Amino acid sequence: MPTTNPHRRRQRRRDALVFVAFAGPNLLLIAAFIYFPLLSNVYYSTLNWRMGATTATSAGLDNYVRLFTSPQGVEMWRVTITFTVVTVVASMVLGLLVALALNHRIPGVTAGRTAIFSPYVLSGVGVGMVWNFIFDPQLGLLGHVLRAFGARSPEWYLDSDLALVMVMIVYIWKNLGFCAVVFLAGLQSIPSDLIEAARIDRAGAVRRFFKLTLPLLSPTVFFLTVTTILSSMQAFDILKIMTPSGNGTNTIVFELFLQGFGPYQNAGYAAAISVVLFVVLFAITAFQLRFVEKRVHYA
Amino acid sequence: MSTTIRSTRARRVTTTMAVLGVATLGLTACGPAVGASSPGASAAATDWAAIEPAESISFWTNHPGGSQAIEQELVDGFTEETGIEVEIVTAGANYEEVSQRFQTAQTSGDVGDLVVMSDATWFTNHVNGSLLAVDDVFAAAGGDTATYNATLFDDYLYEDAHYAVPYARSTTIYYYNEDHYAQAGLTEAPTTWDEVRANSQALIDAGVTETAFSFPPAEDYPAWMMNNLVWSYGGGWSDEWDASAVTSEGTVQAVQFAQDAVQDGWANVSSGSPADDFAAGATSQFIGSTGSLGGVTETAAFEVGVAFLPGGPVEQELVVPTGGAGIAISSASTPEEQLAAAMLADHLTSAENTVAFSSETGYMPVRSDADASALYAENPNFEVAVNQLETRTRTQDYMRVFLPGGDLALATALQRILTTDADVEEALAALQTELEGLYENDLRPQLEG
Repeated sequence: MPTTNPHRRRQRRRDALVFVAFAGPNLLLIAAFIYFPLLSNVYYSTLNWRMGATTATSAGLDNYVRLFTSPQGVEMWRVTITFTVVTVVASMVLGLLVALALNHRIPGVTAGRTAIFSPYVLSGVGVGMVWNFIFDPQLGLLGHVLRAFGARSPEWYLDSDLALVMVMIVYIWKNLGFCAVVFLAGLQSIPSDLIEAARIDRAGAVRRFFKLTLPLLSPTVFFLTVTTILSSMQAFDILKIMTPSGNGTNTIVFELFLQGFGPYQNAGYAAAISVVLFVVLFAITAFQLRFVEKRVHYA
Repeated sequence: MSTTIRSTRARRVTTTMAVLGVATLGLTACGPAVGASSPGASAAATDWAAIEPAESISFWTNHPGGSQAIEQELVDGFTEETGIEVEIVTAGANYEEVSQRFQTAQTSGDVGDLVVMSDATWFTNHVNGSLLAVDDVFAAAGGDTATYNATLFDDYLYEDAHYAVPYARSTTIYYYNEDHYAQAGLTEAPTTWDEVRANSQALIDAGVTETAFSFPPAEDYPAWMMNNLVWSYGGGWSDEWDASAVTSEGTVQAVQFAQDAVQDGWANVSSGSPADDFAAGATSQFIGSTGSLGGVTETAAFEVGVAFLPGGPVEQELVVPTGGAGIAISSASTPEEQLAAAMLADHLTSAENTVAFSSETGYMPVRSDADASALYAENPNFEVAVNQLETRTRTQDYMRVFLPGGDLALATALQRILTTDADVEEALAALQTELEGLYENDLRPQLEG
């Protein structure tokens, strides 16, 4: 039998009590408001349950099977992947270009930075409503401009492919400023003597960008990749305002809303969608932290 | 030592199992009862004679048709008459939001006693066991259901019980621009869909308009607006729960007619709202809700004509779908609150008050003994709408109004068919499969549970 020093045992017990006293309330709150709903949601995902109903039937894994095999489920994944890839790539590429343009001491650059960043802090609902006035084929600004040139406005709202393009344009416009400002901060943290040294070594602008600036921006690129993927996969407000019933714009979060709280009222299936969304986002983040971060050059 | 390790492991396993057990119990305790029947279905009948109405109740509404002021006025009158206080709660911006809030509130129990429910939202709330059958409680409240317009009242009938009473009710009606008609030498509104085509072509040939007729987009209830066309061809969206009606010869021909209309250029699909396009003079004719009558007449800078909905090659008379909303009583309320809610529902929809409500909103009077002559004097087109209600209406097809997601599936399919050159038969066959899938997966287990 091992013997334990009574003093050490008392000390450990006291430490444990202090830990419980300080961390306990927080852990309790986290358990009640984060982990309990999370586990409840996993349980609901195994039910055939309508929101508001006091009864349900067991569905096993049917909701998950349906999510990956039904035509609507497959379409949701197609739309989600398309939306995420296009908006993430476009926001980052355009954001970087804007940041490069704003990273010069030219008159009005501060106003330019403010103008570029301001859409990001606007409400998505307001942004969606304003852009509705632009895209409306009959009454919208874009339609008027096109008609002035003898062209007809595309049917943004009736054609499901165009509807997806429309919401992607608005989403990129809104989030471009965030990428630009973060890239700008990254650009300004690059030591100027490195750039200067490359210039003295007669490296051209393109070579300097790809061989020096971009590698040194890799922490920023990594940070933005993680955050924009997470935010694109959770896009909702603009999509809901511009295409209320999801005409070809059913990304995973929008579909979750339509199924759980919208016309389908299928809370069990919506719960399954949210569980899968959690797993996907967790996996993407873990993958990026595990593998992509290794390739990042921190200055 | 190994004994200690084993006992420590055993303690950990026991603790883990206990935590998991408690968590599982907690999860199942907070969720819905699995496999049990709906409480609404099994609740014992209330002895209404022994119940006194509650002193205060709540009324959840979205103020349909901009009715906030008239609702407050009617409720004030009710409080003055009965002494029962009523809290009016704006429970959403539209019928769907009210229903969503009502559904999510079921878990907290803080639900409205009297709630606005549309033709497309009441049924799922009934299936959830959230609505009280109104027949008995209305009788106990001294209310009279016999004078409700029979078609409107029976919209809430399922398995021998009514689950709401009509309130802000509408039908669809045919709108046309009288000025455009005069310029094109047209004197009569169409009575058949062939005449719709002929009149539309005449309007275009006369150079009066570029768009003679507008179908609604998916966001503007096309399955409701086009129900008339489909019924007039002998088709439908379903025969009770049988979705094969959607691929019937009549439905295929009717939807083909609509697709041809768009492709031939005498009709379009509005990208926003046909009512707005019409009021702005951008389209000459559309089928819309009678609830839009006041707004369209007020906005339009031309004479607005309305007519009965056109018939078709198979059906000429019963081709008008009803719509709008009723008011339902929550099954979660106490019997006292339910009785008071029934009294309020009867008051809001009395012969006198339904006319006052119609005058302010444009919805139809819901009582057959309502004197609507003042309304007709105010807006003669209203008389056409009321006459149509009395002679041409029929209740809607189950798959559109009762099946969760059914209306959206129909709307999405119709928009796709009308805006592309999709094969109508194939598209409707896919729609039938989708409707059947929704029914089998999402509704039938509950109906049979």
